[in-house]
Amino acid sequence: MIEEARLLGALGAVVKRGEVDAISVCAHTSARRVLRFAHEAIHQAVAQETVTVTVHVMHRRRRGVASADTLDAASLARCAKTAKTIAQHAPVLAPLPSLPQRHRARTRADHVAATVRMTPRACVTSLRRLVHLCQGAGASLAGSMLLGEDAFAVVNSAGVSCYAASTVAAAKLVTMYRKLSGFAGAVHRDVRQLDLEGLLRRSLSQSLHRQDPVTLPLGSYEVILEPEAVADLVTWLGYTAFGAKSVEERTSCLAGRMGERLFAPSVTIYDDGSDPKSLRMPFDFEGTPKQKVVLIDRGRAAGIVYDTTYGARFDHPSTGHGMPPNETEGPFPLHLGMAAGTTSVAAMIRACRRGLLIPRFHYVNGLLNPREALMTGLTREGTFLIERGRVTSPVATMRFTQSLLDAFSRVLGVSSQRRLIADPNQELGCAVMPALHLAKLSLTGRSES
Amino acid sequence: MPVSRRAAARDGLPLDLVTRLIRDLKHRAVEYADVRFERILHENLVVEQERATAISLFESHGIGIRVLMNGSWGFAATPHLTPRDLRQAVSRAIDIARASSLLNRQPRALAAVEPVTARYASTYAVDPFDVPLSRKLDYLLWANATVLGPDAIKRVTSHMDSYKREKLFCSTEGARIEQRVIESGAGLEVVAQQGAEVQTRSVPNSHHGALAQAGFEYTKQLDLVGAARRAKQDVLHLLRAQAPRAGETTIILDPTQVVMQLHESCGHAVELDRALGQELSYAGGSFLTPESLGRVQYGASCVNIVADATLPQGVGSFGFDDEGVPAQRVELVREGRFVGYLNSRESAKHLALPSSGGAMRADGWSVPPLVRMTNVNLEPGEGTLEELCRGVKRGYLLSTNKSWSIDDRRLNFQFTTEIGWEITDGKLGAVVNNPLYTGITPVFWGRCTGVGRKEDWRLWGVPNCAKGEPMQLMHVGHGSSYARFDGVTVAPAK
Repeated sequence: MIEEARLLGALGAVVKRGEVDAISVCAHTSARRVLRFAHEAIHQAVAQETVTVTVHVMHRRRRGVASADTLDAASLARCAKTAKTIAQHAPVLAPLPSLPQRHRARTRADHVAATVRMTPRACVTSLRRLVHLCQGAGASLAGSMLLGEDAFAVVNSAGVSCYAASTVAAAKLVTMYRKLSGFAGAVHRDVRQLDLEGLLRRSLSQSLHRQDPVTLPLGSYEVILEPEAVADLVTWLGYTAFGAKSVEERTSCLAGRMGERLFAPSVTIYDDGSDPKSLRMPFDFEGTPKQKVVLIDRGRAAGIVYDTTYGARFDHPSTGHGMPPNETEGPFPLHLGMAAGTTSVAAMIRACRRGLLIPRFHYVNGLLNPREALMTGLTREGTFLIERGRVTSPVATMRFTQSLLDAFSRVLGVSSQRRLIADPNQELGCAVMPALHLAKLSLTGRSES
Repeated sequence: MPVSRRAAARDGLPLDLVTRLIRDLKHRAVEYADVRFERILHENLVVEQERATAISLFESHGIGIRVLMNGSWGFAATPHLTPRDLRQAVSRAIDIARASSLLNRQPRALAAVEPVTARYASTYAVDPFDVPLSRKLDYLLWANATVLGPDAIKRVTSHMDSYKREKLFCSTEGARIEQRVIESGAGLEVVAQQGAEVQTRSVPNSHHGALAQAGFEYTKQLDLVGAARRAKQDVLHLLRAQAPRAGETTIILDPTQVVMQLHESCGHAVELDRALGQELSYAGGSFLTPESLGRVQYGASCVNIVADATLPQGVGSFGFDDEGVPAQRVELVREGRFVGYLNSRESAKHLALPSSGGAMRADGWSVPPLVRMTNVNLEPGEGTLEELCRGVKRGYLLSTNKSWSIDDRRLNFQFTTEIGWEITDGKLGAVVNNPLYTGITPVFWGRCTGVGRKEDWRLWGVPNCAKGEPMQLMHVGHGSSYARFDGVTVAPAK
């Protein structure tokens, strides 16, 4: 891991030598160790370290951005020079948003030494035990394990100097038994808090069934969505609806509807980058401290997230949701949460006369008609039919297609327990989600060969 | 001594450094190893309305080391090219391979490949990095200006992307391969709103699909300004258009949409690592399991699909893949029958195939190669669009992908497109908005009743194909002409 002093020193030197009107430099250093396995063998073992430094220059009402993957002083100087050259040749922009001002942050609160110290051998030993347990149950195991270490830093010419170091550990376990498979995943800052055997039990509970999956008629079903499934949907809302860019473009389902009731009163969605239950991050890629933003307040459209660019356009301060300056999709909520309710998944199942228990979705897409939050996606492992308050048969893969404005307006229950959902192999960000009991989800297709 | 980072960045490919690493790896008694140095340059320009909102240059270089030790794989990557950092990277690759061997019972065996010393360079007329920034921005600003004006037009965004990749691959088997590739592309997206109706139109293709292994001459040929005029007309028509009627009907897919149909329902389905269960924790499996090779009827007899890594301008083209296997043209579906996989040296050996089909690709130095698409193409048939429409009593012509979704075995898919046109009694008619179609892969391709002529065949890029852990975004290519399908479920996406 690149230490605080070295990282901030390298970025600070670029800022100091900028010779431009304003300059901001952000860096993300990352180390990842990833094991991927299937059929009781590891087929991919990766130890990776990466550095990304992005220099954002504003000069004479023009701006330029350049990125490099080094902390070497000469290379960073060249990167800054490239950004300045780009700015010199760029058209004049008016007005340019001002950089975040005078903010200093240093944190290693989420950096856990035990996660860094865990050796590949220790990982494989844990994995070997899981394989033996799985084989003992007559099932087969696939999945991945990840250990990671990250440092984020932002330094700018307006007095911002921020650094945050963290670790992450994650596991995904897919168990297969006859025609069924099950899935369980978890993520934590501290590898010791990953309950691998608990995950295996959860995955096996979905796959160890004698009964073949049943095929159901298409139509509307009462559904109980476990936290991973809820996260699949809400994360797409984050992409299509909760950022200022989509509101400006009017493609967001919140555009022009602020204050209106869009969902059931039991649904409150927010973004909170300081939530210790999340993979928190105290500042954004512009160096602005992260603010908690309530996006849906008891069912009503309540807010969106801003960076400095879109904040200037909307005459609203940045909420600390700026992405790296070479990203062009505008501000994003990376720490979504849904407020907990009062019930449990077990109680939801008991209250369901006929419906489906869905642990997660596959390939959700929210671009069908984002203005109406129309989404589609498929069930995957572990979907079960509920009859008269009891889980009965596994269900073959089915497709849903429905507007979330419709689905989330008929909420029968929200669980009190929530889970942290993240895939640090795939993307930044996370979600802290409860289970949801919905009165109606339209199942519009089946997978059949 | 290894060359310094600055020297590596400026003075061509670091052959001495990579050769030394290979020598060191041989001394460490690995069964096999390869070392891949890559340098990537990506320029991204974005213009919104009348202003440039992003002008960025991304530069990256580093080394990936892959070893086979005790019959298990280990991979380590670093951007730091000092001797100490490289020694550490070698040790990390070996350590993680050794650790993996504690679980693995069967050694990972590789199909043979002849190690070669070779060079490959893509062809281009104008290096896009030599074109003045102001000229490139003016082109985008001009295209945007063509669209602005009507109140209903809420946003127009154009983009231009240029890539330069240089790669040096050496292996303990003796391969030494240098490759240089330039890619160029551009596009424009317009969003219009009237009342509750919001519509989007992208030209020449959505999802940054107008990307080719070519120079700035390709970007000019795209005629973004002419395309912008069409986009403006289309999007204004879409605001007033009706959605398609729900039901089973005939559809004709424009090449821009066949791209996504091929990508999701064929390209991913024929990746052998998926079929062997190696992607279950993320992307899923495939209904095309190994026992179905050569046996399963994937589509109608007019359906011929190939993976062609030798195609000029394809962003899935190369001289050699990231295992040093030469680029090939591999049949995937012949006259409707599933006959081939995209594979690697290891997965080919697993299936006792004579050799690798050369589809192992990494999206950069920091990740190991995976089985990836190259250019997965639907071979042309006969007939113009007019001839394909002939005989269609009622149906739709659908163009330009908007959304995509398919199940974890690549069977049940659903797509929406940005625009469609009614076909009535063989003639194209009114524009329809929000068209959605869905189906089951082999049923859908089995109802393919015509593939258009070679003259209408177009090659597109998909520059954001996600796969793997850590995730990799690969540039892959797809070519097609028009294709007609009967008995397809169509609905309005509302």
